[in-house]
Amino acid sequence: MVMIVGLEEENKEIESNMRELARGLLKEKKVDVIIGYKKGTLPMMSQPIIIDKEEDVDKLLWNNTCYVNLAKYLVPRVAKFVDPEKGNLKVGVVAKGCVGRALIHLASENRINLDEITIIGIPCNGVINRQRIEMEIGEKEILEVTASGNNIVVKGKNFEKEFPFDEYMNELCKQCKIRSPPLVSKFPDLHVGACEEYASIVDEFDDIAEFEAKSPEEKWAYIQDALSVCTRCYACREACPMCYCNLCFVDQNKPIWFGKTTDMPDIIVYHLIRAMHMAGRCVACGACSLVCPMGIDLNFINRKLEKIVKQRFDFTSGLDPDTLPPMTDFKMEDAEEFMLEED
Amino acid sequence: MDEKLLKKSDISKLFNEVKDEYNFYAPKKVRGNISFELISDAKEIELDYLNSKVPPKDVLFPQKETIFEYHYEGKDVIIDERKDLEDKLLIFGVRPCDAYSFKLLEDFFAFGEFQDDVFLKKRENATIIGIGCNEPRQSCFCTSVGGHPYQKESTDVFLSDLGDYYLVETITEKGKDLVKKLSWLTDAKKGDVEKSKALAKQAEESFTTKFNFDLVTKVLDENFENPVWEEIAESCIGCSSCTFLCPTCTCFDVIDENDEYNHRGRRIRIWDTCQSCLYTLETSGHNPRPEKIQRCRNRIMHKFSYYPSNYDRLGCVGCGRCIVACPVNNELRLIIDKILEIEQKEEGEKANA
Repeated sequence: MVMIVGLEEENKEIESNMRELARGLLKEKKVDVIIGYKKGTLPMMSQPIIIDKEEDVDKLLWNNTCYVNLAKYLVPRVAKFVDPEKGNLKVGVVAKGCVGRALIHLASENRINLDEITIIGIPCNGVINRQRIEMEIGEKEILEVTASGNNIVVKGKNFEKEFPFDEYMNELCKQCKIRSPPLVSKFPDLHVGACEEYASIVDEFDDIAEFEAKSPEEKWAYIQDALSVCTRCYACREACPMCYCNLCFVDQNKPIWFGKTTDMPDIIVYHLIRAMHMAGRCVACGACSLVCPMGIDLNFINRKLEKIVKQRFDFTSGLDPDTLPPMTDFKMEDAEEFMLEED
Repeated sequence: MDEKLLKKSDISKLFNEVKDEYNFYAPKKVRGNISFELISDAKEIELDYLNSKVPPKDVLFPQKETIFEYHYEGKDVIIDERKDLEDKLLIFGVRPCDAYSFKLLEDFFAFGEFQDDVFLKKRENATIIGIGCNEPRQSCFCTSVGGHPYQKESTDVFLSDLGDYYLVETITEKGKDLVKKLSWLTDAKKGDVEKSKALAKQAEESFTTKFNFDLVTKVLDENFENPVWEEIAESCIGCSSCTFLCPTCTCFDVIDENDEYNHRGRRIRIWDTCQSCLYTLETSGHNPRPEKIQRCRNRIMHKFSYYPSNYDRLGCVGCGRCIVACPVNNELRLIIDKILEIEQKEEGEKANA
C-alpha cells in the first residue's frame, strides 16, 4: 500500500476508482444513466453531467470543487429519468457522503425508490470554501486553481497565493462525520465503491458555540447582517435536494402568503421559514451556501437545526430509509415542554 | 485641450463638491461584494474593482420599487405620487458594458406607446460617469456584442485609469455641466490622451472570449424546437442567479400591498425572472413555459433573437456576469457552443450529401 500524500494524488485515486466502477455499471447494463461531475470552465468550478455511454466515463471528475448535491437531479418538478418504453430508468449517482445521505433521506420521504438507484460511493475529502477564497483574493481575477500538497494554490495575473485546505474547506465539511455514503444493509445491491456503516454519530457542535453564546439581540443582528445581501434568486432552494415542493410556500400567489420584496422582513421570512422546513431533513451538504451568488453562509443556521434535532430526538438524517424523520413522525415520548402542564 | 485630469486622491473633493446637488452612487464594498450604493462619505468609494457583482441597473431600476403609495380618506383613495423622481442622480465609475446596458433598458422602457415614466424620469435625471476597462476578464465578451472596453455610449463623462490619475473626457452636454463645476481639474496633455488610446487598444486585444452572434441569431431563429435545448437545460437547477445579476434583464412583476388596518397601501414592482415557475403562469393554471427547457430557451432567445428582431440590437452587453454566477457552471459559452454545433452538424451533413 502506497501512502497517499497530497490532495491531487488523493483526488486522482478517488477519480480513477470511480471511473472504473462507472464503466463496469454501464458495461454490465446495471444502470441506464450515471449522474456525476465533470470539469468546469472556470477555476474552482465543476459541472454536473449525465452520461449513458461507456466512452463518456472518462469525462467524470472528482476533485474538491464538486459542490452540487447530485441527489437534487432525482427530485425535479417534472419526472426526468423515465423512458417511454422502458419505464423508470436505473440511475447511478456519484455520491460523496452527503449525496448518499440525501438519497437515503429522500427514500424515507418516499420521493425516490432505492431499487432504481445505484450509489457509486466516494470517500469524500471535502470541498473548497470557494466564496471565502474569492473574497480574500478580492478584486482580482482568479485564472488557475491547483493543489500542491495539502494546499490550494490560486493563481492570477501578477499574483499567486496558497490556502491550506484544512482551513479553507467548506465549514460543514470540517465538521463532517459521514464522508462516505451510509450503508443500507437492506439494499445490498444499492452500493458500489466506498460506503460505511455508521452506528451513532457523536458530534459536539463546537463550531456554533460562538453563535450560541451571543445574546438574542446579537443573534438577531448577526442573522440580519448575514442575510442582508440576499437577492432572493433562490439558488439555495434550487440547489437543495430537500427542497422538492412543486410550489414553494414563498411562491404561493393565490393569495400571496409572504411579501416578495428584498425588504429585510421579507428576506428573513423566506430564510427562516425555509430553515424550519429543513429541521431533521438537512443532510449538511452545504450546497445552499456554496451556490449563493452573493456568498451568504447559511451553514450556521443548518448546524443549529442539526444540533436541536440531534439533542431532542437523537436523530441524524439520511442514515436509514426506514426511520421517519422526527418532524414527520409522532412518538408518545416526544418532549413537549412547550405545552402547558395540566395540574 | 478639452480633456482634463483628475487625481485619484481628489475623488473626495469631487464628491464633496457635487454631493448636495446629486444623489451620488458609486461602487462600494458591501459584505465582500462590490455594488453601486448611495454614498454618504467619500471614503466608502471603491476605486479598485473589476466590476460590480450586482449591475448598476439597480440604481435606475431597483429590485423593489414603490411606484406610488396611497391612503384612504373616508371612502376615497388618495394617491401619493412620488416626489423623489426629480432628484438628480450621479452614477460614478460605470463600466462601458453596464453604461451600454442603460441604452438597452431605454429600448424596453420607452417601447412604442408604453412609456415608463418612473424609469425614464430617473434616466433623464441621471448623469453617468463611465470608466474604461484596462483588464477585461476571461469571462468578458463586450467586443462580440458590438461593445468595447473603452466604449463611451450612454456615458456623459468618461474616465481612463492612467495609474494615479484619470483622464477625464466630456461626452455630452450633461457631462459638460458637471465638468464645468469642477474648475480645479487640470488640463490633460497630449501624452495622456495617447496613453488612454494605448490602454484601450491593449484591452481590446486581451479578450479571450469571442462569439459570432450574427450566426447565433440565425441558428436560434431556425431551431426553436431543436433537441439541443434539452441538453442545455439538463444541468440547470432553475435558480435565478443569471437573470438577477444581468444588466439587461427587465422583466418585472407588479404587486399591490394593501395595509387594510392602517388604511393605506402601495403599488410596488419587483424583478421577475424567466427562470421562476411562476413566470408567465396564467390564471387558468396554464403555463406556456412549464419546464426548465422552455425557461432556459426563453433567456437565450430573448437576448439573442427577440431583442435583435424587436430593437435591432442584441439584448446582451457582454459583461459575463451570468458566466461567473451560474452555480452549476452551465454557462453562456457552453450554451452558445452547443447552439453553433447545430449549424456545424448541418454543414457537415450537406458536405457529405
